[in-house]
Parts: sequence; structure tokens; C-alpha cells
Amino acid sequence: MDQFKYISPKTKEETLKILKEKRVNACIVAGCTNVLPDIKIKKISPKILVDITAIQELRGIDKKKDKICIGPLTTIAELINSELILKESKILIQAAEEFADPLVRNNATIGGNLVTASPAADMAVPLLTLDAFIKIESAREKREVKLKEFFLGPGKTVLQDDEMIVGIEFEPSDINKKGYFIKLGQRKAMAIAIASVAVNLEVKQNKISQIRVAAGSVAPIPIRLTGVEKFLANKAISNKLVEKAVNRVREEVEPISDIRASEEYRRYISGTLFKRAFNKLTN
Amino acid sequence: MKKLEIEFTINGKKRSLSVKPNDLLINIIRNDLFLTGSKYGCGIGECGACTVLLNGEPVLSCLTLAATVDGKEITTIEGLAKGGKLHPMQIAFLKNAAVQCGFCTPSMILTATALLKENPNPTEDEIRDYMRGNICRCTGYVQIVKAIEEYAHGEKTN
Repeated sequence: MDQFKYISPKTKEETLKILKEKRVNACIVAGCTNVLPDIKIKKISPKILVDITAIQELRGIDKKKDKICIGPLTTIAELINSELILKESKILIQAAEEFADPLVRNNATIGGNLVTASPAADMAVPLLTLDAFIKIESAREKREVKLKEFFLGPGKTVLQDDEMIVGIEFEPSDINKKGYFIKLGQRKAMAIAIASVAVNLEVKQNKISQIRVAAGSVAPIPIRLTGVEKFLANKAISNKLVEKAVNRVREEVEPISDIRASEEYRRYISGTLFKRAFNKLTN
Repeated sequence: MKKLEIEFTINGKKRSLSVKPNDLLINIIRNDLFLTGSKYGCGIGECGACTVLLNGEPVLSCLTLAATVDGKEITTIEGLAKGGKLHPMQIAFLKNAAVQCGFCTPSMILTATALLKENPNPTEDEIRDYMRGNICRCTGYVQIVKAIEEYAHGEKTN
């Protein structure tokens, strides 16, 4: 494996200073479950690994005022075991239980899953329907970005070289409590999604008062299907309506063919996954 | 490349080592400490053969930098038997012929002990779900699940 320097800063401020000075040469790591395989196959070759796992303030799940705050260092296993997350956003637990396998989940972090910016990122899809936003810091400034504006392309995000994620937040709300996530993979463990769909839904008197739909592995980035959402808003639920929405999902996704599945299959199956998730929430 | 001094506990013993920043935990365990029960399989976190317990949790030692275990506690398969007596999970694996070529066995046993610590009375589905990251290429899964079930059941009746 390539050589690199290893630093383990103890505070956020120390980390931001390192990022400011070293820029592109430094790579922040936590669980290492993506970074080490990438170094091995020489996809990336960082000069310095900045291990941030010792920074306690970036860890844990809290309810602060009107926000649910998840530290980027929170592992996928910690998410699964969080009673607060179970109560406020069960959809995240569903996605976490589909994430890789129990061994990887003990190390992999939610922040790492987002910065890796895979089009298939299991945590990104439900966080999109939770309307999550990302808190970002550098030595220069602090800013917040909506998750749907965070991803730019496969492996690319709005993060600058000197910036890091310091929090992932969403509002505790009725619609965030009512979500459903489905992932289709070739097998249960360690599968990268062929397609995944998340739906959060609020129904009042058989009418859709609010709906959010997101999908993974069907576009260059995890996406919100805003066309489908607009089509469904304020409509009365019926089988006919769901069938129409399924077709709209199949039109709105922009998948490619790759080793896991063809474009046509992904288009078709994302509609089907949407239907399954929607029916779970309405039946 | 500058070496890093780390100190950790492995199978109850304190150890200090100088490691390179890019040393993987699996290589340190096998090549420096000569604990060869943990296996280097795929090297990219897909197969689970390198599983060790880090602070009690099963993790992949091929995706763990040695530098990150400073101050932590590691258990490998060599640490399960006490006073020359096999761990009950090891006995359950032997009794149920849950061992074929043996390559995955250390990791299977470690993950199984972690499962039972979290969930002392797992159903078959729960066992299969928890064990899904550990691959047995001899495909001896039925016996492995049976061994874990027997151990869990045995513990309950004791």
C-alpha cells in the first residue's frame, strides 16, 4: 500500500488548521472503510491521513431545540441503536440496517458515507427525504448546505479542500416520522444498491398533504424526484394515481447501465420500489 | 516513513509496538505478534475473514490502520480459550461440524460471540442477519448457524 503520514488531531480547530495548511494533500478519515480500499487500488493517493475519530464533539446524536443533530462521526451501528432516531426518523434505521454488513457498520460513519458521494450512498437517500442539511466548517467560515445541493457528481461534493462536515441536521416533524426506504441489491450483505428509493409521506383525509421522494443509484448523484412530488401533492390517493406516479418515477430517473444492472432495468425497478414504499406507508 | 509508537491490549496482554502509518492491523497481528488465527482474505472488507473484536465490537482488521488502535483493546481467536479450555462457542462449532477448511472459522466464532453479547437469545433469522458479513466459501452455513443456536440455547438453559 502507498505510504502516507498519519495525524490524529484531538480538536475540530486543530483539524481545520491542518486542512487550511495542507489542502489537497490531506484526506480526512474516520471509519476508513472506503478510503483504505481506494488507497489500495490507487484510486486516491493522499499524502496525509487526518484521523478525526478522537474528536468527541463530532460524535453522537442529539435533539437540540427544533433540530435532530447527528455528528458526522456517528457510526452506522450507533444510528441503528439510537432510540431518538427510531422515534424521529425510522427511515434512517431502515437504511442503516441495509448498509454493508454488521462488521463494516461498526466503523463506517454517516459523515463518511456522505463525503464519499457515491450515487448509491445508502444514508444519503433517506436523508434527502428528511430534508436534511449539512453543517460545514473551515478555518475561514461556517456554512450550511441543503443535502440536495451537497452532491455535485460521483465522488464530488460542494466541500472545498479546507472544509469538513461538522453536523448533519433535520427537523423533527410528523412527515419525517413517516418514511419508508427500500434498497434492491444483488445480495443482502455488502451489496451496492442496484436502485434504492425513500419516501416520506403525510396524508390528511386521504389526500397527500406532503410527499418527498428520493432515489439512489439511478442518477450521477442521489436525487430527489421533485417532478413526482409535485405531481402527487394535494391529490387524493387511489390505485390509478399510484400507477401514474410509478410511470413518472420511471421517466424522471436518469440511470446508466453498469455491471450491476442495465439502464432499462433500473428505470423499471425504481418505479416498482416507489410503489412498494408508497403502499407500505398508505396501507 | 516515521514510525508511530502505539500501545494496546491484545487478548488481555499489554503490548507496545512501533508501526508505520500505513500498517494494517491484520498485518501487525499476524506478522509482528504471530497471532495467525485472524486471516487475510480479500483485503477490501468484503469477506470478513480478518474479523477481530475491537473494544468488544467485531471489526475488519484489514480495513483498520494499526495506528488507530492506540489505547484500545483487541481480542483475536487466540484470546477466547481460557486456561487451556476452549470457549463454549468453539466447542459448539466443533460439535456441530461447523468447520470445514477452517479459513473463516476464527472470524465466524468471534462475530458469533459478539452477536450473543448483544442478543443472548437470537432467532435463526437474527443469526443469519448478524453473520452476513462473514463469508464461508465451503458454504457450511447450516452447521455454523446450528452451532450458534445450540450455544445460545445451551446458555439459556444453564
